Amino acid sequence: MRRTVALGLLYSRSGAYARIGAACRAGALNAIAQINADPVRSITLAPVERDPEGNIDRYAPLCEEILRDTPARHIVGCVTSWSRKEVIPTLEKGGGTLWYAVPYEGFEASDHVVYLHSCPNQHLLPLLDWTFPTFGRRGYLTGSNYIWGWEMNRLARDRIHAAGGTVLGERYLPLGSVDVARMIEEVRATAPDFILNSLIGPSSYAFLRAYAALGESDARFRADRCPVLSCNLTECELPDIGPAADGLIAAGPYFCANGDAFGSSHEAAANHAVHTLADLLEDAPDSATTNIASLLDTPTGHRSGIDAKTHHTAQRVLIAQVKDGAFAMRYDGGLRAGDPYLTGPADTSPRTALRVVS
Amino acid sequence: MTGPVRIADLGGARAIILHRPHVVVAALTRQLQAVGLRVDAVWPELPAEALAADFIFFDADMGFDEQFPWDRGAAPMPLIALIGSEAPGRVEWALATGANAQILKPVGDSGVYSALLIARHGFEARQALAAEAADLRRRLGERQTVVRAVIQLIDTTGSEEAAYAALRAMAMEARIGLEEAAARVLSRGPVPSPRTKGGAA
Repeated sequence: MRRTVALGLLYSRSGAYARIGAACRAGALNAIAQINADPVRSITLAPVERDPEGNIDRYAPLCEEILRDTPARHIVGCVTSWSRKEVIPTLEKGGGTLWYAVPYEGFEASDHVVYLHSCPNQHLLPLLDWTFPTFGRRGYLTGSNYIWGWEMNRLARDRIHAAGGTVLGERYLPLGSVDVARMIEEVRATAPDFILNSLIGPSSYAFLRAYAALGESDARFRADRCPVLSCNLTECELPDIGPAADGLIAAGPYFCANGDAFGSSHEAAANHAVHTLADLLEDAPDSATTNIASLLDTPTGHRSGIDAKTHHTAQRVLIAQVKDGAFAMRYDGGLRAGDPYLTGPADTSPRTALRVVS
Repeated sequence: MTGPVRIADLGGARAIILHRPHVVVAALTRQLQAVGLRVDAVWPELPAEALAADFIFFDADMGFDEQFPWDRGAAPMPLIALIGSEAPGRVEWALATGANAQILKPVGDSGVYSALLIARHGFEARQALAAEAADLRRRLGERQTVVRAVIQLIDTTGSEEAAYAALRAMAMEARIGLEEAAARVLSRGPVPSPRTKGGAA
């Protein structure tokens, strides 16, 4: 006799970052279908879905609605850090857990969130460490005007200064704004060695298109001289950007190769989230009320790869570059444990050179 | 003490929670361990090894002066008050104890990381200001020495202005403070001045 366990889904299907939400949602739904079709499983997952439509003020009320009106205690969802921070007080109050499947800026370890994608010691810092000797230490920093962009650029500034480099400019755009002319002018005027792009959605696409146009008229701004770096761009947004993405260098735990099961790291992480959760629930008969701390304090929990202290997971450090609409692998730094506060030994020990795979 | 907040060196740092066994201690311990600190909870007295702790969280509700093995307000590390009752008397006591930051009870899912950074920042700012004040006080006490040295140097330099300039030049040359240079002038005693030499004697 299979138990049915409700599982919340909280992804925006429209708005500035709908593509990422769609990729995560596809990964989660796919995992639900796989689990429900698996005769060995003792649980059936019943998705309970709410759509905040990219409106930041709808996340907390919809999260509360799931926890209040349905038996679901686990929610896979949220793309922006802003929305994640909005729902944490609601999760705390309602005893819920958010399974968060996108990269973020670190400095958080909520008891009510499981972090299944990379944080800065797994994306930004290895990416910069690889970039400095390859392209140089003079950077231009961009970002969307909220916590992700601010914190990524703060960390980048520290890392660049520590390496004896220079930050030539730092500029932000409101979510959804495509007013990139000023950034492009500043890049042209300062001619950096690289650009760190922590813009999201249409702002990012507009910037990449304008920068590609600049590169066509001036060779100093082509990917071989001054590449754009990103820690949040994956395959799921490449079709929106088109040829302008060519040359972009991204860090992430997964890049899609021919024949791979998932279209992007977002899809892979959300899929992995649901499978991991299902494993934990299999062994917890009272899964409706069991909180994540007790689920992790079981043999299955210890095997889950989720750190009981930080709720972070080890992620592979990969660096890849867009070529003809797909990512080509440049470096493989291997698996690295999540270190959200950068207090672990990984950040203080001498960094070893990343291994070349191509 | 403005500019970027220092986030380094928290990994492996030692925190002591001075609070009776309570759910507050569990919530604080979880957050501290997630940041990467080592945590011990004690009550009612701080053990000797508390002197080596990097941070101390203390209960502002039930706390009292005798718990701390140092003079009131002279803790050698940043202190964070755990405040349940916001009664002015308890806030006053927490401040007198030397709280550099506070966390309100009940303790939930967050708050510890910012309290650590704010407490350390405030503690270091207070230490730096105290050192500066002590130095200024010392220099203030040396005013008499400087005045006496200048008076003595007038004999050889001819004017008060020139004497002061000579004293400053000596200090700069020897890379010492004006007060120390003045003390050296006085210790070697008055040099016979040309005026005295060419005088009636």
